[in-house]
Amino acid sequence: MKNSILILAASLLALSSCTKKESSSNLNNSEYKIGISQEFENLNPLVMQMVATTYLYSISGRRLVNMDENSKWVPQVVTEIPTLENKKAKIITVGGKKKVVAEWEILSNANWGDGKPVICEDFALAREIAMNPNVSVGDKESYAQIEKIDIDPKNPKKCTFTYGRARFDYYMLGTYMPLPSHLEGEVYKKHKDEREGYEKNSLYSKEPTNPGLYNGPYLISEIKLGDHVSFTPNPHFYGEKPKIQKVIVKLIPNTGTLEANLQSGTIDAIGVVGLDFDQATGFDKKVKAEKLPYSVNFVPGLTYEHIDMNMSHPILKDLNVRKALIQGLDRQTLIKSLFDGKQQIAIHSVSPKDPWYSETDAIKKESQYSKANAEKLLDAAGWKKGADGIRLKDGKKLSLEFSSTAGNKTRELVQVYLQDQWKQIGVEVTIKNYPARVFFGEITKKRKFDLALYAWTSSPESVPRSTFHSSSIPTEKNGWSGQNQPGWNNQTVDKLIEDLEVEFDPAKRLTIATKITEEYVKDAPVIPLYYRSEISVTPSKLKNFVMTGHQFYETNAIEKWTLE
Amino acid sequence: MTTFILRRLIQTLVVIALLSYVCFYLMTLMPGDPVELMIQSNPKITSEDIVRLKQLYGLDQPAYKRYATWVSTIAQGDLGYSRTYRVPVGELMGPRLYNTFILSMLSLLISLAIALPMGIYSALNPGGKFDSFVNLFSFAGISIPSFWLALMLIIIFSVNLGWLPAGGTETVGMSDADYFTMIKDRGVYLILPILSLSIQQIGGFVRYARSAMLEAMRNDYIRTAKAKGLARNVIIWRHGFRNALIPLITIIALSFSTLFSGALLTETVFAYQGVGKLVYDSIIGNDYNVAMISFIISVSMVLLMNLVADILYGFADPRITFN
Amino acid sequence: MAIPQTNESSLTQGQINQLEKATPFWKIIFNQFIEHKMAVAGSIVILIFVIIALGADIISSITGLDPQKQNVSARYLAPFSTSEFSMDMKENEIEKWSEKNPELAVELSNFIKEKSLFSATDGQNPLIGFGTQDVSVVTAAIASENSASINSFKELTKTFTTKHWFGTDEVGRDVLIRLIYGTRVSMGVGVMVAIASALIGLLVGSVAGFYGGRIDTALMRITDALLSLPLVPVLIVLAAVDLQKLPAIKALMRPDNESIVKMFIILCFFSWMTVARLVRGSILSLREREFVLAAKTLGAKDSTIIIKHMFPNVIAPMLVAISLGVGNSILFEAALSFLGLGIMPPTASWGNMLNNAQEVIYKNMWLTILPGIMILLTTISFNFVGDGLQDAVDPKSIRR
Repeated sequence: MKNSILILAASLLALSSCTKKESSSNLNNSEYKIGISQEFENLNPLVMQMVATTYLYSISGRRLVNMDENSKWVPQVVTEIPTLENKKAKIITVGGKKKVVAEWEILSNANWGDGKPVICEDFALAREIAMNPNVSVGDKESYAQIEKIDIDPKNPKKCTFTYGRARFDYYMLGTYMPLPSHLEGEVYKKHKDEREGYEKNSLYSKEPTNPGLYNGPYLISEIKLGDHVSFTPNPHFYGEKPKIQKVIVKLIPNTGTLEANLQSGTIDAIGVVGLDFDQATGFDKKVKAEKLPYSVNFVPGLTYEHIDMNMSHPILKDLNVRKALIQGLDRQTLIKSLFDGKQQIAIHSVSPKDPWYSETDAIKKESQYSKANAEKLLDAAGWKKGADGIRLKDGKKLSLEFSSTAGNKTRELVQVYLQDQWKQIGVEVTIKNYPARVFFGEITKKRKFDLALYAWTSSPESVPRSTFHSSSIPTEKNGWSGQNQPGWNNQTVDKLIEDLEVEFDPAKRLTIATKITEEYVKDAPVIPLYYRSEISVTPSKLKNFVMTGHQFYETNAIEKWTLE
Repeated sequence: MTTFILRRLIQTLVVIALLSYVCFYLMTLMPGDPVELMIQSNPKITSEDIVRLKQLYGLDQPAYKRYATWVSTIAQGDLGYSRTYRVPVGELMGPRLYNTFILSMLSLLISLAIALPMGIYSALNPGGKFDSFVNLFSFAGISIPSFWLALMLIIIFSVNLGWLPAGGTETVGMSDADYFTMIKDRGVYLILPILSLSIQQIGGFVRYARSAMLEAMRNDYIRTAKAKGLARNVIIWRHGFRNALIPLITIIALSFSTLFSGALLTETVFAYQGVGKLVYDSIIGNDYNVAMISFIISVSMVLLMNLVADILYGFADPRITFN
Repeated sequence: MAIPQTNESSLTQGQINQLEKATPFWKIIFNQFIEHKMAVAGSIVILIFVIIALGADIISSITGLDPQKQNVSARYLAPFSTSEFSMDMKENEIEKWSEKNPELAVELSNFIKEKSLFSATDGQNPLIGFGTQDVSVVTAAIASENSASINSFKELTKTFTTKHWFGTDEVGRDVLIRLIYGTRVSMGVGVMVAIASALIGLLVGSVAGFYGGRIDTALMRITDALLSLPLVPVLIVLAAVDLQKLPAIKALMRPDNESIVKMFIILCFFSWMTVARLVRGSILSLREREFVLAAKTLGAKDSTIIIKHMFPNVIAPMLVAISLGVGNSILFEAALSFLGLGIMPPTASWGNMLNNAQEVIYKNMWLTILPGIMILLTTISFNFVGDGLQDAVDPKSIRR
């Protein structure tokens, strides 16, 4: 019996170690299957909230404006972006209040999938629905900043938007999605007074394959929540004709299986909402070693991984301690050895992709790794090394609690690495992680942490009011709202933020933003770590595929992709 | 007997009602409601947005009021609406419950069909070659972590041999094929998940069957029966097996009560469209309507199966009476 | 037990006394247990694991391996490979050494310059420049030399390389020593939970089964409720509860073991129901048996009947449930850490080692196989011990 077990085990091992060379040579433009690992929801653009849904939406829906791979705003279903320079937008003063009016014109050949034209009414309807308190729209800012929309009575594709405040970012309406007024108008009228009535009865949930709901390069031919979506080309699309005749996006929640599916040929590619980082680097090595017909794409993204330091904490109140924590960790080695150098180091909260990025000497100096300097700072703060190497002051240990979202392997890896680094400068950190909802709903929200590792994604040129302004420090009084979790209170920064919002000159904006960044680095409320890379796997045959690195995903150019 | 069953059914209903409130309350106790989770990834959401959304979702109401609202909609036959997926709960859960049921039922039946004879046979010949093989197999089945087993099966049968699909429920676009092809297609996708679930279940069942049977075969009446010269089969089944039934009924009833709960890990690894992950996500994401329906189902299944077990005890051992 | 020859005339008084004295119950059980070879083997394995768990610190100091020692330049090494410190780790160590032995350091620096073993660039410390080269180069250069400074330096360079019998993990920690330390948590969890769930289950199940009626209904509905209670929300709520606030539990807890105490409580609380139902089912049938009736008519107390007459008869299914529970709780502990309720990193447990390796299963399969084997061994051992115990205490198989 022992022999038979040995033989069985040996053959199992042999089977699992030998690899079948899967060729993707028979790939062509007739079908392309993308695997993702994150859940998606109903594709109603107004109420969607999941990241994967945004990824899917761009395959079948187009908006006013979009951000391209160079982080520039470009028009999508409109002729051009109205700016002060091209005279399509101007600042007016009404009753002492500065406002912006801008003229938008929709492309003459922009149509919905059933041939009906995309008109200004579609945008007006979207705004009206979004502003209805009975509809659950998450981020209303895009819609709410528009006071009114005046449609040209002669041309339904031309209209004027009036923005309530004169802010420089008035045209950055990347999340302003149109709704087909010829279909959804009816539904909305009927259900607008019921709580959540519109979204329950919207055609996007009742009849999601209706071609009239989509104005992008593809229409949805089949959708099964939690499993897959199939797309076929939209004959009425205004832009370039899509090359691939059928696109299937398949949800495979386990990333291990996702990889196996790719290797067994069940899927042809993995989208940005797919692989984990460690897995992707592993697969990349495998692709290179075995010359598999795939390319693993890493693009620096805008997701900022950082550690908030609680500035109300008795130990972390001290600037020297905060700086020592920053300077005592070697981010270069962290990125190089844990991530194969494939994530981008962060020296502050503004990404190098952002026009507001700055790297002055003052900034560089503050974020330099220097163990000796860190030790000096701690000595200066009165923390002296004890017998076990951990620093003491007044008989108390320099010990901090380090929290993050439980179950996130990459973060746990980083935590363990940092724990070791800080131990070398005499700081003891104990790891205490919480499930995501406890972490965000209790620990960071109510500022119950010492050190909190997490990330947020921002878009280029976004004003850091909710994260840096002192009014955004969550307190019991303001109902724990705002995300200035470190509790950073700097009057200069508050003022700069207010100035930044109303500055229309890009050069001056950069100056202000740089000042904010300098303050940020000087006060050190946060330990910047790195910008997470966006990852995808594509067959080497796929052409015209460009990753963007931000939340306006590569699917915004899906009509260009080809496998020929 | 009828009064017993009736009384138990009434008890069951009361317990379900009580537990449903407990579950509902538990959900509200969890810190971090969906609105708060939304803010974290999107710094643009303002505090006004939060207040507005909480009002819209009714999260500003006390738990008992929300529970009452929920009960009244259920009473009207409306299962509600999944806030995460934005579709009616029935539409969302129906097919998935069916898928889970097929998967769990098949693997349970297969495991039982293999495990019971295996366990009984090895109990009749303890210490033999077959017994030690069965022991080893069942221990391995118990100790292998399920994700490992599932991924190994995929690597071997899908990636290397290419015999079976690496995951999924059915081939995309199969829903309009004719009935027979569809069943065949579904079957192909079911093989690996069933295999992975069964290997693990068999381990446990074999252990219980073997030990219960060993115990039963030691009784004095078995010796008497043997001495009487009864046929071996009669001894094993009429005298031995029947007395081994009590613990087996308990364990099998317990297993059947999870028929609709789904195997989170197996379903996730095989990207199988069951309820396991849906229920997990609905709890994490506070999708009340989905979570509550699944709680009700799981509570009812446990209670129902316990009732069935109690009734079966009476058949297995006529001395047991319920008054 | 061999029965001694009963030739009366040859018996001394002492022998007679010995014969008449009944063998104590535990001895009978022990003697029968010993006869079950696999059970003995199982208990030896468990004993070894317990010794390993208790002696983990000693093993660590003998081998010089540290479960927390990272070396990110040597991640995911295969078994039987050797890792070497990275340049700056060596630099650190050499600096420390120089601080401790300043004379030796000067002596060695001079020696290096004299023999021109290393051509230092401007501003570079020749000692560090020399010492941070590959260990093989360094040892070859000074192998034949023999002086106080060189011998001390040789000792130092020896610590620059580490042999990893079981390879290294995601931050270059030694897998072998982590498995050894993991034994503590995992065996602790396995044993404690098994015992606790058995005791609670036995108590609830026997009381419910024996008394029946209202008591049975109440206890069993509670059991059902716990069986069907959705675990995830309960765990999330528990994760948010700060147990330090409860005075009763505070005494048990220090900040460093809070997560462990919490985990034990959770595991025990959610693992006794199967045992309770198994016990109750068997007792329902037992209480109608003749020997129970006999005991009752003889006026035995309820507790006597339950403990003396019923327990030995329900032990078979219970032991299976417990031994299955050992493996399950080891894996359950790992699942808990996903919700932040398990063991926090960097403490090792078999379960979290297994989970951490989940993503890299294609590249580094041994990382999942090794902890898997440990769990397998534990489960098997506990099962055999269970078997042995069952044979030993079973009244029907006791040969006196």
